[in-house]
Amino acid sequence: MSARTDLLLSIADDELILGWRDSEWTGIAPFLEEDVALSSIAQNEIGHARALYELAAAELGTSADELAFDRRPAQYRCAPLVQLRRLEWARTIARRWLYETADEIRLEELKGSDDGELAGIAAKMNREEAYHRLHAEMWVDRLLASEEGRRRFFEAVDELWPYALGVLDEGLRSELRRRVEERLGRELPAAEAIERGRHEPELVELWDEMTMVRRSAPAGARW
Amino acid sequence: MDARTQEFVEYVQSGGQVEATDWMPDEYRARLIKFIEMHANSELMGVLPERDWILRAPTLQRKLALTAKIQDEVGHAQLIYRVVEDLGKPRQACLDDLVSGRSKFHNVFHYPTRTWGDVGVIAWLVDAAAIISQKALLRCSYAPYARIMKKICWEESFHILHGRDVVLALVTGTQEQFELVQEALNRWWEPLMHFHGTPIPADEDPMLFWRIKSQANEDARQQFLDGYVPQIRELGLEIPDPALRKDEETGRWLYTEPDWERLRAVITGHGPASAERLAFRRLSREDVAWVERVILAEAA
Repeated sequence: MSARTDLLLSIADDELILGWRDSEWTGIAPFLEEDVALSSIAQNEIGHARALYELAAAELGTSADELAFDRRPAQYRCAPLVQLRRLEWARTIARRWLYETADEIRLEELKGSDDGELAGIAAKMNREEAYHRLHAEMWVDRLLASEEGRRRFFEAVDELWPYALGVLDEGLRSELRRRVEERLGRELPAAEAIERGRHEPELVELWDEMTMVRRSAPAGARW
Repeated sequence: MDARTQEFVEYVQSGGQVEATDWMPDEYRARLIKFIEMHANSELMGVLPERDWILRAPTLQRKLALTAKIQDEVGHAQLIYRVVEDLGKPRQACLDDLVSGRSKFHNVFHYPTRTWGDVGVIAWLVDAAAIISQKALLRCSYAPYARIMKKICWEESFHILHGRDVVLALVTGTQEQFELVQEALNRWWEPLMHFHGTPIPADEDPMLFWRIKSQANEDARQQFLDGYVPQIRELGLEIPDPALRKDEETGRWLYTEPDWERLRAVITGHGPASAERLAFRRLSREDVAWVERVILAEAA
């Protein structure tokens, strides 16, 4: 597999699994308005995953659906950050915000790529991610505005920080730290990144559930 | 009835529409709140049976479509609760009454979903039954409610297409996939026959008196049967009612009388999934209660 396909699958798997996790809030978010917002975000992320899988599928001679559903859990390349099961609200926001901040750094890099197809898809993704960032930033503001919100949010960020580092290649991590510390006005603990390639038990559980209907008919069945 | 109320009744019965800021009799307002609140509750509770399948959708396209469909239902709940709020009952009070079981939600949302076949049957046939009621509400005497029904009907008609597409893929698939639909249809037929309510005569229905509704329950059910029985049979599916047939002379559908006692039990919270659904709604609300507290503290 080419380095390009490997990269495409890493990002696609991040977007797919995060989209699946965000969709766990459909129907039960704290406000009806948030419910609608998170469902939209989930659909965008999965749409991005599909576009990236299609590029990878062309090279691998397969389809986006087969890449999304028909690999074994150990073959997914997503960062452990997105694998964690639906988190409580402060952690949901912390994960969204950390992911979007890291993703922005990654997309900035990809937009400058010599690979026209990759640069194009990064630019297109970035147009939608801009709204996800606005949404996450609005929630960061809201949580930071009260004692309790701040306490819960900082706790969540500290807990997820080693996972957030794992979204990016090593060379981009100091920039992530700089942006996060600047926004929060506080220093983050020294931490070892929880690296891509690790598969949390929660990913395996999710995979079991997300493929259960599909696996119930022989491969190639139409759904 | 005083003269002013008499005049109001004549106005709405002759097709007149009422705005939120107009004077209205207390009984009319109370009936509107109860009816519209139940509609909003149903949209919100209707999310739960399908929600389980968001994580299990078998292709990317189905995943996107199902998430979007359920998102629409939440959006409908939001719109409809706002109509209730204008009538004087805040959203929080509606949600409190919902989770404590003081208010009701529609019968079909008290049942469990067992397979992906249920997802197709719900989106196709439950939404088809719903759109019949909702289209009739386009003529509701309360104008703000009638207005939002336009958007809702538009979106529901997409849900029906999505549901029919899911069902079509299954009935043209493997034998096991076909069986998923047939078994789901067997499970959902009685709730579908209950959907439009008991055949209460039009002149005894207070909702028709105030022209909140403009279609009698049995007429809605007949319209559903007329539209969908032929389509269901065309797909090779069998409807689990041997007595179901159209009387060619009267043009009315004849069917085995549904168990109306069971409908009453279901909508008063004794359906197969009622307790579980309400408990889930209550718990998920408690989990995020702090968010509201923090946001309100900040706003104050």
